[in-house]
Amino acid sequence: MISKQLNDQITRIGPGSDAGMVLRHYWQPAALIEELDHGDKVPVNLLGERLALVRGANNQLILATRIATIDEPATHYPASKDILIDTLGPTYPVAERKGILFAYLGKQKTPPAFPNFDCFRAPDSHVFAFKGLWQCNWLQALEVGIDPAHASFLHRFLEDENPAEGYGKQFRDKAEGTNMPITQVLREYPRPDITVDETKFGLKITALRHMDHGLTHVRITNQIFPQAICIPMSREMIITQWHVPVDDETCYWYTMFTSFAKPVDKALMRAQRLKEHSLPTYAPLKNRANDYHYNPQEQATQTYTGMGLDINVHDQWAVEGMGRVQDRTQEHLGRSDKAIIRYRRMLRAAIAAAAAGNVSDLPMLGPEAADITGPVSNDAIADTHLWQDISRNADMTRRAHCSWDATV
Amino acid sequence: MNAQNDWRVIATTEQLNVARPVLAVTLDNRPYVLFRDDTGSLGLIGRHCPHRGADLLYGRLEDNGLRCPFHGWHFDRTGQCMEQPAEPEGSKMYTQIKVPMIQVREIGGEIQALISQSEALQ
Ligand code: FES
Ligand SMILES: [Fe+2]
Repeated sequence: MISKQLNDQITRIGPGSDAGMVLRHYWQPAALIEELDHGDKVPVNLLGERLALVRGANNQLILATRIATIDEPATHYPASKDILIDTLGPTYPVAERKGILFAYLGKQKTPPAFPNFDCFRAPDSHVFAFKGLWQCNWLQALEVGIDPAHASFLHRFLEDENPAEGYGKQFRDKAEGTNMPITQVLREYPRPDITVDETKFGLKITALRHMDHGLTHVRITNQIFPQAICIPMSREMIITQWHVPVDDETCYWYTMFTSFAKPVDKALMRAQRLKEHSLPTYAPLKNRANDYHYNPQEQATQTYTGMGLDINVHDQWAVEGMGRVQDRTQEHLGRSDKAIIRYRRMLRAAIAAAAAGNVSDLPMLGPEAADITGPVSNDAIADTHLWQDISRNADMTRRAHCSWDATV
Repeated sequence: MNAQNDWRVIATTEQLNVARPVLAVTLDNRPYVLFRDDTGSLGLIGRHCPHRGADLLYGRLEDNGLRCPFHGWHFDRTGQCMEQPAEPEGSKMYTQIKVPMIQVREIGGEIQALISQSEALQ
């Protein structure tokens, strides 16, 4: 449990807020590049600010402030011709990476360098980007992503699908080196041993599931400061996902799917996701208003939630069900929440450093950021006494065979 | 206030005559969930899981109680946590966890909640 005051401090993101100040030191996903088809002005609702993508001097994309009424809905998306730019409001620089337009809303003269993460250095053909809306504060959305225990419950399938039919979906692959679908490993071994290490980019989270016959399932995931995660999706792909505040009570996830093997089948990945979302706000079709299509019969026999096979919907239900801003004065964190506790400590340290003007104490804000590679995200099954080597080698092997430079 | 006036009707027996007897109830602006366990007894407990706040209205009605779908914490009809299946083997943390609970009774097809208890919790 934490105090109401602390909960406010680490969740609120408007101009002048503490956590908002930390986020404003980093490039923030602002729109998908396909949104530029909307017209010469594209609405962007970000960090409690009402903005629009426009062309500035030299035809460069920038974010400008747009004139908005106070009662505008969080994800208001006016037609291009109806957008009025507030010429007295701030403007912010924009940079495109792999289909996502990032914006820098900070006050430093030069925005930070982009780290050399896999999602940024892979060729365009090997990265697919998409986004989706969640009706809740960004921090509870991020916290699900750094909680390795929930996958054994929330995403549990009471029966396994055929991994061969799982392209482009999470947890459907076979665990490296076995014939066991990951879904089966997660279901049968629900008490992971979790260790959390601080890194240059944030946190490395190792979840060990000790299995029968002296084997261990090793899942390495990462928190990228301040608000992203990097996790394995399949043997072929990893996921890098940002949780971006629209306002205090609404956020978008932006995901880059990065392939170490074949080019990504973007048409298929996009079609799979467009079927579940409505444009232009990328709001999920299953949501609180329609009970996430909850089916008690399915919950009894097929899935843990009764909300279908799409794990994004499970996560969405989990975070939206907490309320728009989770009341952390009522929570009881356990051992499985280790990474969440560590992350909050990092965020508070960053808030204090930023408030004191010690910007270089924040992760990845110095010139060395451009040299940070990885992070390594990987699922493997190993002989228990060799898990470190085997997990590392499994990732090094796929990197060595990669068509682009994936060395770490 | 006399004791009799403290019982408020919150649902009918009829409403729980379904395959999965779990119902959302709001009392004094607070969210609760009403359910019938395997023995047929009723429980009225806080709707947000005391772990990280997930919505128990969508809980799994099993093992004589309600199980949170997020990390599997299991609650009996008094709101007492009975299991935390993701916590380390041998952990006793669950014994310290209890969801707010309101006493209920079933009379003549009506389900009633003892309101003074919810006020006491404020
Ligand atoms: S939020 Fe209910 S078990 Fe974790
Ligand atoms: Fe999840």
